[in-house]
Amino acid sequence: MQEGRPIPSRQINRELLSTILNSPKWFWIAVVLLGLIVLGAMSAAGFMVNKGLGVTGMNRPVMWGFFITNFVFWIGISHAGVMLSAILRLSKAEWRRPATRAAEILTVFSLMTAMLMPLIHTGRPWRLVYWIYTVPFAPYDYARGIWPNVRSPLVWDPSAVYTYLTSSILFVLVALIPDFAVLRDRTAPPTSGHSPTLTHRIYTLLAMGWRGNPRQWKLQIIAGVLLSALILPVFVSVHSIVSWDFGMAVAVKSWHSTIFAPYFVVGAVHSGVSAVAFAMIILRHIYGWQNYIRHEHIDALGRLLIVVATGWFYFFVMEVIFGFYGREADELAVRDLQFMQNPWNIWMMVFVFTTYFLPVALWLPRMFRRNLWIMSAACISVNIGMWLERFIIIVPGLQNKQVFTFSWYTVYSPSAVEWTIIGGTFALVSMLMLLVARVAPLIPLYDIKEAEILRTEVKIGRVTVPAVYRED
Amino acid sequence: MAASESEHLHHGTAHGEGHGGSSGGHYPGMWIFPNPRVITRDMAGKVASMPRGFTLALLASGILLVLGVVGFVARAAADGFDDRAPWGYYMAAFSFVFMVTSAAPVAAVAFRFTKSHWRRPLSRVSELFAVVGILNIIMFIPMMLILPPIANPNAGHGNGHDLDIRRTIWFEGPVGAPHAWDLVGVIALAVTALFILWLSAVPDMAEARLTARGFRGWLYRRLSGHWYGAKKQWQAQKAGLALMGAFYFMTLIFVQFIISSDYAQSMIPGWKDSIFPVFYSLTGFQVALGTCLIILYIMRRWGGFQEYYGKSPFWSASKIQLGLTLLWAYHLFAFFITYWYGRLAVEQNIIKYLFTQSYGGLFVANLALSFAIPFLLLLWNPVRRSAWGPPLAGLSAAAGALMFSLRVMVGGANSGNIYAAFLDHVPAAAYPDLWDIFIVTGAIGAAAFTYLLATRILPLISVWEVKEGALYQRLATFTPTGKGEYLVLAKPE
Repeated sequence: MQEGRPIPSRQINRELLSTILNSPKWFWIAVVLLGLIVLGAMSAAGFMVNKGLGVTGMNRPVMWGFFITNFVFWIGISHAGVMLSAILRLSKAEWRRPATRAAEILTVFSLMTAMLMPLIHTGRPWRLVYWIYTVPFAPYDYARGIWPNVRSPLVWDPSAVYTYLTSSILFVLVALIPDFAVLRDRTAPPTSGHSPTLTHRIYTLLAMGWRGNPRQWKLQIIAGVLLSALILPVFVSVHSIVSWDFGMAVAVKSWHSTIFAPYFVVGAVHSGVSAVAFAMIILRHIYGWQNYIRHEHIDALGRLLIVVATGWFYFFVMEVIFGFYGREADELAVRDLQFMQNPWNIWMMVFVFTTYFLPVALWLPRMFRRNLWIMSAACISVNIGMWLERFIIIVPGLQNKQVFTFSWYTVYSPSAVEWTIIGGTFALVSMLMLLVARVAPLIPLYDIKEAEILRTEVKIGRVTVPAVYRED
Repeated sequence: MAASESEHLHHGTAHGEGHGGSSGGHYPGMWIFPNPRVITRDMAGKVASMPRGFTLALLASGILLVLGVVGFVARAAADGFDDRAPWGYYMAAFSFVFMVTSAAPVAAVAFRFTKSHWRRPLSRVSELFAVVGILNIIMFIPMMLILPPIANPNAGHGNGHDLDIRRTIWFEGPVGAPHAWDLVGVIALAVTALFILWLSAVPDMAEARLTARGFRGWLYRRLSGHWYGAKKQWQAQKAGLALMGAFYFMTLIFVQFIISSDYAQSMIPGWKDSIFPVFYSLTGFQVALGTCLIILYIMRRWGGFQEYYGKSPFWSASKIQLGLTLLWAYHLFAFFITYWYGRLAVEQNIIKYLFTQSYGGLFVANLALSFAIPFLLLLWNPVRRSAWGPPLAGLSAAAGALMFSLRVMVGGANSGNIYAAFLDHVPAAAYPDLWDIFIVTGAIGAAAFTYLLATRILPLISVWEVKEGALYQRLATFTPTGKGEYLVLAKPE
């Protein structure tokens, strides 16, 4: 599968570094607009911290709402990086090349954004300071002998997420070294008489003495493969542990399900890869990368997504069937709420339709997979559905928690503060992606050049078929 | 095989012995591209011949089959079919054979779908398991008799704590559920697998119909129909294989779901485990791929197929094996931690019954054979790159899958009152008697016997796929460096 024409290295450098060396006019306008939304979200969060959690729609028994839904959503998006970069690198899928960098960077930013959510959700984020700085004079927590319960999944969770964040950053940086070296050389002063610019100094530091000799390439490849293999268990553990935040609880019916871990992981890959596909289409459009992000790449992502979506749907069906299977009254009450009662039944239908039936129907025909508008619609649809999925898992379950005891109300309704903060997270990730595009290439230069070197052709009878060299 | 003949089997100068090492290139013996001009004749000879090793294997598996029939008859005469408990080992035997033989064709289907060239020597080995699907149908008939009805026959007779309708995936029980639906599933699977085998073998049978004699010649002429290799016929065949493959995969997942639920999960009161069908399917895929690799190794080592099977199918499949092994452990852990952490009485009893007490020994063996040994083997590149490593891991996984089947099926059959609301005690383990041993070994022997017979009808090589592979793959010097011989892989789509 190689549809583009061979591209000379000089052209690759010029086109892929254009986002860094020249800013388009719209760039800062977009950054400022997104920044304003983020600022609005920060103000809303500040207002909430000042007034207390009462300004949100949360109340007993629904004490996890939009924030935790959004936390799970962004953790899910972060799974794209490893899926596309590590797994496809290990499986030597050629079409992965233009997608890896954007996926890895999206992973880092979505993880950071995800971790903001529980922090905001606590209502008293400054308490984190007391956890980090365990000093004798700190008035709370450790100093008073109050320790987190290490047997709680709520403690496993940050451990896994921070491990994933650390390894993802390492993964991105290792892959960026050769490209940083190119940028170092591009920003070098024209003659030895000129003093080097700050930009050049920074890229020199980041390139870590890269000269592109065989030993460095060998080490870089080994590091990439090792990190790919090592990050896989972390990748799986993160969303598994997020799922166990729910699955370990026996008090909330419908959460205590053995399938939650793989169900969450597959769902995360589904939403993450869809997000990357959408991001690639956007990048292709705004930066004019038609030579690099080609229809064949989006097509391949579409085919991968059909498999992932169908796998996810299987897990979803299992989860639902075994929810009913027990025929336990309190769990059936939750299922009744999810499937039969307004508005949850509507949300459930929207969720299943947008997560599976609509996108898969759009991905099945080849001509649709190669239509960027339709692919964008399908990928956005998946992420609307996957966000709803988490919402439908969390809120109806909590709504029926301790169903026979007193509760303040029965329907959770998110407040404007929650909406604003949630909207801000989407703006934040978009803004950070744009800003990174200003300092590092969102398509790996060396990966594209390697693909150009490995591509060849095979003549079979009268037909010439595209081919690649493989070492194994 | 004489040296000169051996050379003829190779295509061009690519002998699959690369240089490796510092000069670069592919690993020695990794890729072998047989000569398309010789392969058909050679395969026809292999199918028609009856080597001594083959005869011995046929005889040994035939004896096991007879012992299995003896064990089955003795068990039926002694216990009848009213109580499921004495049939636990029969259920386990069926489950094991079903897991292997129904999942094996997926190797051909899945890797054809992903357009993996390395699958080509593996395709027919996996597809031939379709013939064993007939054995699955025969073995399933007594399974229908063993399965208790959904409605409690003693409902309203003073058993206040029992359920009127037992927990099952069929809920209130549509017409014929679960017995008829399970049977329909097993039959649908077998028929679809046979159809895929036929569709895949049509070009080979059409090529061989002119030279084959006797029964084989007659069969090839009947089954190959009007195949002349026209472009439209090839397009239809490939589209048919893709469509039927997708249908087979989905049917398999469904049938594994209903079999694992009806014969294991719903047999143990209060066992509500949404991951179990997935775990059952995973075990099936792991053991099926392993079994295909075992056959590939045997045929390469002793069956005269060393000229057709390079190391690439082993190496490439080993990565999938490693992935399946890790997934197996992950799914097991996902189940275990949820049950263990929940601390619910019924879940603790199920853990004690199937994992730590009654069947604790089997579980440890299952864990070691399905995870620890394959994982430790497949972790190493030299082992994965060898022809013996992946089949050895496959053998371990096969033994592990047998332990798994014994644990969950025998455990399910001997859990006591199936209409109880929850498992309120930890039942004792049921140990096999002589008839049980005959039944289990007999079922495995019967599967091997059927498979061996199938290899007398169709060769263990999908000739057209190997020929096609020889067109799309070749070894060439890497142009920029001019050093080493590398694989050049053409991907037409």
